[in-house]
Amino acid sequence: MDKISFSDIGEHVVDEIIDTVETPIALLGGDGVILRFNRACEMLTGFSQSEALGRKVWDFLIIEEEIEAVRQVFAMTCAKDLPTHYTNYWKTKSGKRRLLSWSNKTLRDDSGAVAAVLATALDITELRSAESDLTESQAFLRSIVDASPVAVVTINDRAQILSFSRQAETTFGYRETHVLGKNVKILMPEPDRARHDDYIDRFLETGEKRIIGRARRVKAMRSTGEVFPALLHVTEFTDGERVFVGFVEDLSEKEETERRLSDTQFQLQHAGRVGAMGEIATSIAHELNQPLTAAASLAGAVSLTLKKAQCDRCDDAIILLDDVVSEIKRASEIIHQMREFVRKRKTTKSLHDVNKIVEDAAALAIIGADADGVEVKWDLSEDVGKVSLDRIQIQQVVTNLIRNAIDAMHEAPQRILTISTRKRAREIEVSIADTGPGLNKDLKKTLFEPFVSSKKEGIGVGLSISKTIIDAHQGEIDAADLESGGCVFTFNLPAGNDESVGDNP
Amino acid sequence: MNRSAIIPRGAVFLVDDDVSVQRGVAALLRAADYETTVFKSGDEFLAKLSELDRQNAVVLVDVCMPGIQGLELQERLNADGVRLPVIVMTAHGDIPMAVRAMRNGAVDFLQKPFTVDEVTGALDRALSMQTPPSRQIESSANGDLHARYESLTPRENEVFRQIVQGDTNKEIARLFDISPRTIEVHRQRIMTKMKADSLADLVRMAVALDVGDSQA
Repeated sequence: MDKISFSDIGEHVVDEIIDTVETPIALLGGDGVILRFNRACEMLTGFSQSEALGRKVWDFLIIEEEIEAVRQVFAMTCAKDLPTHYTNYWKTKSGKRRLLSWSNKTLRDDSGAVAAVLATALDITELRSAESDLTESQAFLRSIVDASPVAVVTINDRAQILSFSRQAETTFGYRETHVLGKNVKILMPEPDRARHDDYIDRFLETGEKRIIGRARRVKAMRSTGEVFPALLHVTEFTDGERVFVGFVEDLSEKEETERRLSDTQFQLQHAGRVGAMGEIATSIAHELNQPLTAAASLAGAVSLTLKKAQCDRCDDAIILLDDVVSEIKRASEIIHQMREFVRKRKTTKSLHDVNKIVEDAAALAIIGADADGVEVKWDLSEDVGKVSLDRIQIQQVVTNLIRNAIDAMHEAPQRILTISTRKRAREIEVSIADTGPGLNKDLKKTLFEPFVSSKKEGIGVGLSISKTIIDAHQGEIDAADLESGGCVFTFNLPAGNDESVGDNP
Repeated sequence: MNRSAIIPRGAVFLVDDDVSVQRGVAALLRAADYETTVFKSGDEFLAKLSELDRQNAVVLVDVCMPGIQGLELQERLNADGVRLPVIVMTAHGDIPMAVRAMRNGAVDFLQKPFTVDEVTGALDRALSMQTPPSRQIESSANGDLHARYESLTPRENEVFRQIVQGDTNKEIARLFDISPRTIEVHRQRIMTKMKADSLADLVRMAVALDVGDSQA
C-alpha cells in the first residue's frame, strides 16, 4: 500500500493529530511567540491555547532563573538549524513546576528564514524525582556512615578503596580524596600489608571466609606510620560488583584506659599487700618482743650468776651468753625494721583532685566486689579541690572502706552505698556510708586495731592499714552508726598544700 | 666481789603484764643484786603502793599494758605526789613513746630487749638521783643545756630533732638526701656537743629543751 500524507486527507487532520497525541507540542515563531499550543500543552500548563497564543514563551512559561538560558538556546536553535535537545522547567498556571525534556526542530520558509520552531516535549518531572530520591537516599546513607563513630571503608574485589568515611579520615589521617582507588593495604602495617592481596584472591577463589562476618583484633596503620590496635569487622555485598565493607574501631584509647585502670589496680593490690604485711609485722613485733626480752634477760641473769660463781671456763660461757643477747637484740631489730618498713614508708605526696581519686578508687572497688543490687549514690562537693596526698595510699583507704561497706550490706534488705566529699574549714572530708547492720558492738573500740574483723574470711588489717595511712597524712579516720541504720566511715585530710614528705609519728 | 655480804643496789618495782618478761627480767635484776618486786599491772602496783618501802627504789614499767598503762601510771604517781623515779620500757624503736614518757617525768627509758649493762646503768642512774629531778635542779642546769644546744649547727639541729624521734641514721639520711655515714658523723658531734652518753640522755635533753616533739 502506498504511503499517503496526512495532509492528503485534509489540513484539519494534522491539527487533530497534534491535539490527540499526549506529547506537548508547541509551534513558536522565530521571536519566541507561541503560534500553536496543543491540547497536551494545555493539560500540562493549565493555560488554554487562546491564553497562550501571541505571547512569548519566556514571558510566562519559563521559570525566572532559566529565562536567560532558554533565550540563548532558542537563538542558537534558530541560527544553526539543528534539532536541539534541551531540558528545562515550565511553570504551570497554578505555579507548579514541570521538568520537560525538549526536542526542537527549526522550520524554514523557501527563503530560508525561520518560519517556526517545532517544540515537542517529554514530561520527565516524575522520572527525575525518582532519580533524585535515589541520590538523596545515597546521601542519607553517606551521612549515616559519616556519623558512625567507627571508621567505615568500602573496597571492591581488587582491594581498591571505594569510600572512606569521615571517622576513617580521622582515624587513619588520610583525606577520602587521597585514598579513593588506592589499595586498602596502605591502611595496614606489615605483614598484613604484603599479604592482603593474597587474602582477597584466596577468598575470591575459595569463598573461604577468614575474616568476613566476625570481629577480629588487628593492627592498623595511620598515615603517620603509627600502628594501633583496632577491631575490624568485614561484611560483603554485591552492588554490580563485589563490595567489602570494613568497620574499623580504634582500640588504642580504650586499651590505654584499661591499662591505666589495671595499673592502678595492681598498685593498689601491691600497696595492700605491703600494708597488710606491715600491720602483721607490727603485731608480731609486739608479741614476739616480749619473749625475746624474757630470753635476753634470762641470759643476762645466767651471765651474772656465772660471774659470781667464778668457775673454770665461766668467762667463756659469759662471752657466749653475751653473743646470745646480741643475737636476740638482732632478732628484735629485724622485726622492728619489718614494721618500720611500712610504718615509715615514704609517702609520695603530690597535689591530687580528691573527687577524681575517690571516683577512680570507687570504680575499682565496685568492679572487684560482688556489688550486684547495690545502689551507689554520689555526693561529691565541687569545692573540695586538690589536696597534697599519696594517691595510691588514699585510694587504698577508699577501696578498703567501700569494700567493707558493700560486704556489710550483703544481707541487708536495702543496699545503698553513699560516697561523699565535703570541704570543711581546714580539711577535706570523705565519707562512705552503707545501709548494713551498723558497727559490731564488741568491736567498736578496737575497730582500727590489727587482727580485728567481723568478717569470716577477713584477717582484720584493712581498717588498721587505713588508719596508719590516714595518720601518715596527718588526718583522722572514724566510724559511727547512722540513725537511719547502717554506718558511716569518715576520714579527713588537711586542706593545706603541704607537699613535704610525711613520716608516721 | 664479796658474795657473803650482799648490799642491795636498790629496790626495783617491776611492772609488766607478760609473765615470761616478769620472770626473765626479775631473774636478771635479782642476779644483779636489786631487791625486786614484781607487779602484773599498774593497778596492782598502785593498790599496793602504800605498803611499799619506797626508799632507794625505782619503778621499771612497761609502757604498753592493758588497764593502767605505763604513761598513766606515771601521771597517777605525779598527781599523788609520790616521788619515785620511773623508767619506762618500750618496744624496740618506739622512741616517740619514750619521748612522751619522759615528758611526763620518766627519768629514763629502756628499749626491750636490753643487755645487763643497759638495764643496770639506767637503774643505777635513777637510784643515784634519790628523788626525781625537781624543777629547780632542772632549771639551774638548763642554762648550760641551752648553751650547748645553741652550739649545734643548723644541720646538726635538724639531725638532732630526727634522732630524738627515734629515726635511724638510714632514715635520716633518706630524709635529708645525704649519706648515712655523714649522719653518723653528725650524730657523734651532737652527742659530744650535748655531752650526752646515750640516746636516752639525748632524749631527756630534748624533753627539757622542748624540741623534737613527735606529736607536732
